[in-house]
Amino acid sequence: MTVIQEYLAPRTLEELTRLVGDGEAAIYAGGTDLGPRWNKDVVEKPATVIDVKAIAELHGVRVDGEEVVIGACTLMSQIEADPMLRKSAGALAPAAGRVACPQIRNRATIGGNLCNASPAADTAVPLILLDAEVELASVGDDGVVRRRVPITEFFTGPGSTCRKPGEVLTCVRFKPLPDTTSCAWDKFGTRPAMEIAVASVGVMLEQADGVVKRARVGYGSVAPTPLRGHKAEAELAGKRLTAEVIERVTAAARDEINPISDVRAGAEYRRTVIGVMLGRMLNDAAGA
Amino acid sequence: MPQVLDTLDLAFEVNGDAVSVKVPPGATLLDALRDALELTGTKLGCGEGECGACSVLLDGRVVNSCLVLAAECAGAKIVTIEGLAANGKLHAIQQAFVDQGAIQCGFCTPGMIMATHALLADNPTPSEADAKRALEGNLCRCTGYRKILDAVLSLANGGVAHD
Amino acid sequence: MIRTDVATEADAKRTTKEPSFIGKRVPKLDAPDKATGLARYLDDIKLPRMLYGKILFSGRPHARIVNIDTAAAKALNGVRAVITADDIELVPFGFGSDNTALKKGTVTCVRDEVAAVAADTPQIAAEAIKLIRVTYEDLPVVASVAEALADGAPVIHEKAPNNIPFNFDYLHGDIEQGIAESDVIVEDTFNLQRVTHCCLGTSGIIAEFDATGKLTLHSLSQVPFLYTHDLSRIIGIPPQRIRVIQPPIGGGFGSKLDVHPFEPICVFLAKATQRPVRMHFTREEEFFATPTRQPMIIRLRSGAKKDGTFTFRDVKMTLDNGGRTSWGATTPWISMRTFSSLYRVPHVRQDVDVVYTNNIYACAFRGYGNPQATFTIEAQIDSLAEKIGMDPLDIRLKNAQEPGETTGQGMVLRTCGLAECLDTAARNAGWEVKHSGAQKPTHGIARGMGMASLFHVGGGAKIYRSDGCGTMLKVDDFGGVTVQTGSSEIGQGSETVIAQIVAEELGLPIANIRIINNDTALTPWDVGVHASRTTFIAGNSALRAAREARGKLLDAAAAMLKRDADEIDLADGKVVDGDTGEPLESIGKVIRGMHFGGKHELVMTTDFYEPPSKAPDKEQKGDISACYAFGTHVAEVEVDLDTGVVKVLGFSAAHDVGRVINQLGIEGQVEGGIAQGIGYALSEELKVEGGYVLNPTFTDYKLMTTQELPEIKTAFIETQDPAGPYGAKGIAEAPLVPVAAAIANAVYNATGVRITELPLTPERVLAKLQEARGDKSGETYGETCGQPHG
Ligand SMILES: Cc1cc2nc3c(=O)[nH]c(=O)nc-3n(C[C@H](O)[C@H](O)[C@H](O)COP(=O)(O)OP(=O)(O)OC[C@H]3O[C@@H](n4cnc5c(N)ncnc54)[C@H](O)[C@@H]3O)c2cc1C
Ligand code: FES
Ligand code: FES
Repeated sequence: MTVIQEYLAPRTLEELTRLVGDGEAAIYAGGTDLGPRWNKDVVEKPATVIDVKAIAELHGVRVDGEEVVIGACTLMSQIEADPMLRKSAGALAPAAGRVACPQIRNRATIGGNLCNASPAADTAVPLILLDAEVELASVGDDGVVRRRVPITEFFTGPGSTCRKPGEVLTCVRFKPLPDTTSCAWDKFGTRPAMEIAVASVGVMLEQADGVVKRARVGYGSVAPTPLRGHKAEAELAGKRLTAEVIERVTAAARDEINPISDVRAGAEYRRTVIGVMLGRMLNDAAGA
Repeated sequence: MPQVLDTLDLAFEVNGDAVSVKVPPGATLLDALRDALELTGTKLGCGEGECGACSVLLDGRVVNSCLVLAAECAGAKIVTIEGLAANGKLHAIQQAFVDQGAIQCGFCTPGMIMATHALLADNPTPSEADAKRALEGNLCRCTGYRKILDAVLSLANGGVAHD
Repeated sequence: MIRTDVATEADAKRTTKEPSFIGKRVPKLDAPDKATGLARYLDDIKLPRMLYGKILFSGRPHARIVNIDTAAAKALNGVRAVITADDIELVPFGFGSDNTALKKGTVTCVRDEVAAVAADTPQIAAEAIKLIRVTYEDLPVVASVAEALADGAPVIHEKAPNNIPFNFDYLHGDIEQGIAESDVIVEDTFNLQRVTHCCLGTSGIIAEFDATGKLTLHSLSQVPFLYTHDLSRIIGIPPQRIRVIQPPIGGGFGSKLDVHPFEPICVFLAKATQRPVRMHFTREEEFFATPTRQPMIIRLRSGAKKDGTFTFRDVKMTLDNGGRTSWGATTPWISMRTFSSLYRVPHVRQDVDVVYTNNIYACAFRGYGNPQATFTIEAQIDSLAEKIGMDPLDIRLKNAQEPGETTGQGMVLRTCGLAECLDTAARNAGWEVKHSGAQKPTHGIARGMGMASLFHVGGGAKIYRSDGCGTMLKVDDFGGVTVQTGSSEIGQGSETVIAQIVAEELGLPIANIRIINNDTALTPWDVGVHASRTTFIAGNSALRAAREARGKLLDAAAAMLKRDADEIDLADGKVVDGDTGEPLESIGKVIRGMHFGGKHELVMTTDFYEPPSKAPDKEQKGDISACYAFGTHVAEVEVDLDTGVVKVLGFSAAHDVGRVINQLGIEGQVEGGIAQGIGYALSEELKVEGGYVLNPTFTDYKLMTTQELPEIKTAFIETQDPAGPYGAKGIAEAPLVPVAAAIANAVYNATGVRITELPLTPERVLAKLQEARGDKSGETYGETCGQPHG
């Protein structure tokens, strides 16, 4: 029988990284991904659970030099409501607000969302639009060692990341978006609430005189990992948002994703809705 | 007996009372409430965060107690459905649910009421859209939600005393 | 003799009076306990020394059991019993007598019960289950009706070598003549999916024996007396030694109409351990190991004359029965009533094959075959209307029955508010303005409106020899009344309706009335909660018991007060002057006067009400119910033509309910039915592939959430049924029945595309739209498989 035998809640990052050590224990944040699996008794439960929420440093939103920093344990409900994020983090706050329901948003952390590495993680695409980086910490000879990984390199497959067993995600960092940019993001599901995205897409545009100076496109649930839309971005760069351009961008989007068919939707359908959602966002942007 | 190597002694506050319980380290808050404290008003509908029947307030926030480890609640303040009525009188939210016909089989009711409590504490005059959003994670198979929303909105208009 | 004239002369005077409770918004009696968490549901009950039971399900669709090794499970600390089919007497049960509590030999679906344990804790029980080793030899799987009917298909149960255990055929009129009379004919094949009840409280039971071997069950059954009878055979305990106590249940909707294997299994565990045993399903078990609604393939042909008169319906239905048979197999008995009698149709034929497969099996579910039938009929009515250029409302009005008609199946419509329902629902929805036949857009958002009606039994259904219900009523010394009724409360509010009726008759506050309805040791016989019968039948029985008590009270009070019984009345817990309302004496005092002095009497009355309905004849014809319910729903939808998303914007429902007894309760029934219907129409489907259930979670089995709730307008047409209590008919199932049909018709109106499959998921709708537009073959969408990521 697998039973959780030990619950630990370190108070400092240093203590945490030491405890995490070789990665045998489960790192536990909001438990909204871990809890259902444990309750269903489908996975081996870890003997030791290490709760990361008692570490103050991992909480909250702050500014560090030119960067905005979101602690790993920051809740979806906090991200959704945070004035700074609402202003300068593009689609991140609205996307956090579309996760599940209040009960989940009050527990689900951004760190858990990313480390769980579902292709459907709702914060991933908005972070791609921000060129965000995640910070990982582990124990070294002289205390805590940190490294940064661009969000696009963090995910390596469904449920897997480049995080090493002894590493903890401490925060997400990005430069605030200037006022000259606009962001849109949407997710698609059969219901408006309580939906794991069947497909999601986001776009960030910096336009000047009707011409796209800089663009970022990201997709969720349509590839083994959240995906940056390089081809769609290339179609946007330097262009005006005419009907033909939008058509080419959505075609590129449909082309560069790699969805699967599962119980939630077919691959072809996912392709279609990505195109439709992205097309609508670009039309809105063109009209604005 | 299964090999539970450890039992945790936990102290926290439930419905204003200091309590201490002994639970295995893997027990959920829902287990602690229902089994150890015999507060069975909080319901288990799915155990996967999908139905909201197990909703309680944890330090003022509404959460699914089936996904919270009891261990992390040491020192926390928890409010369950049993904590609302006072002096033999239903809480205004409970009364509104009764009066508006928001209760059929009643299994979703404790969770609905706790989610409503959290909403009204935050936003005493919610719109219908606010109410729908606040209860989006609480499934009800019987009522079709209309009368539940009516109950919530009746409080928004008439005002409700908050503690 | 059956007494149908429930209203007596002495009541004539009072009926003109404004009722105190009937027709009012009366909160449910059990609501305060449920609002405070005090109500004790099954899994809230913990008996001393209670053990926890758990079942090992086969997990394979079709296999031979070669060996079961329980040694390791038995050796686990804390395990008190492990049982397999070898440990019990195997008594076949279920509608097809093809089920046993635990399975021996062959398993025919993934939910087949193979072994069970009782242990000190649920965790130990779960662990023990994992330690049971079963060796199987897999057999070829019959995964669909088509596979079951193919040449050389594996035989699932030997007694049905062709895999068709039952037929439910029906005919009135002459189909050939109907075809000859038709100016237009339409034909479609409809595919109705598998959905499941999703009661928020999962299934469970507690079994305990006393020292003399008497069994007490805390059971969620909604038919406790028939259940006792059936269970008794299975467990070999005489029914008089079984007591069924029904705790509040977390939803029923038909799911608790059968004896389910887990129930006798729990009894066997209690017997083996001589300790109380509780069994309680996880949500996942609830999804795959409890029965569902019948998936059906329905080929329907129907016709009309140029003037809109319906001519015939010819139906061929195939039911996926799954690997075992429950009462669910009999849903064609109800669907045939809809085919025969929803609107006036002179010629109707239903031909049904119930087909064994290795899928999980179905049972009763609100509407009982009626939503499926209604979906097909109402879709074709719109097609017929379009072909002859008639408004969908007009063609329905043209064929709506009038009061006094007898339908082709012999059902006598003493009251019938169908035409009024059609008019009212349409008017409230703004039909004339919003139902447009305009050119359909091809991209962006389209709006449309559609309607559908329903026909259902409203006064019980005489499927057993009796469709009756008993009541025992006593008035106590303190002016309180205890009513023991055979009818169970399953959340639908029957308890409150009965209290209202008794309070109305006896002039008492509702608070003075106690209803006992959950213990077969105390309550008189009743058929059970199904067929929307409770308000009508239990209500009539309670009404008659209360009227008799009223007579006794008034007689005694008249003697005591030396007044004429006609001159006095009962109001607010008192005997009052009939004209002035002046209080004369308290009811408690009258009762005390009766037993302390006078004739040494008490007021205790009993009643058994048997409705004036008839069991159907061999051809399934006859007046099966004491009255019939009608209704019309109008749905307004928005369809995103680029993604296929259907959004229900508004719903207008009008129901012929005879008379409203509890306004609050009846609105709740209608709203709840609409929500279930929206789920059925748009998002719910329990997907089964190769016999395996793919989506046993609320994440992937999508119930409607608050966010999808449309605006709902409800209207009640009061046709005052002469046989109903105060004129009321039953309604419980009705509101779900036409919902999907109305929505699909609205989608058709919005898009011009007819979709004959449910649910109308975005993916399915888009595929059909594209097919119609000729964009793509549409075939690239559709069947999906596999487990989701994330
Ligand atoms: C009903 C329901 C609905 C949901 N709906 C959505 C939805 O709409 N959108 C969506 O994106 N998600 C959804 N989720 C998934 C989940 O809520 C989110 O992924 C959430 O953000 C996970 O965060 P958590 O803190 O709860 O993670 P946990 O469950 O605590 O952990 C998740 C994983 O991350 C690891 N981990 C957590 N924190 C760290 C850290 N700091 N460093 C290293 N590893 C860490 C854990 O070890 C674990 O493997 C839903 C879940 C449920 C139960
Ligand atoms: S029981 Fe916790 S959300 Fe369903
Ligand atoms: S009242 Fe039954 S689930 Fe809500």
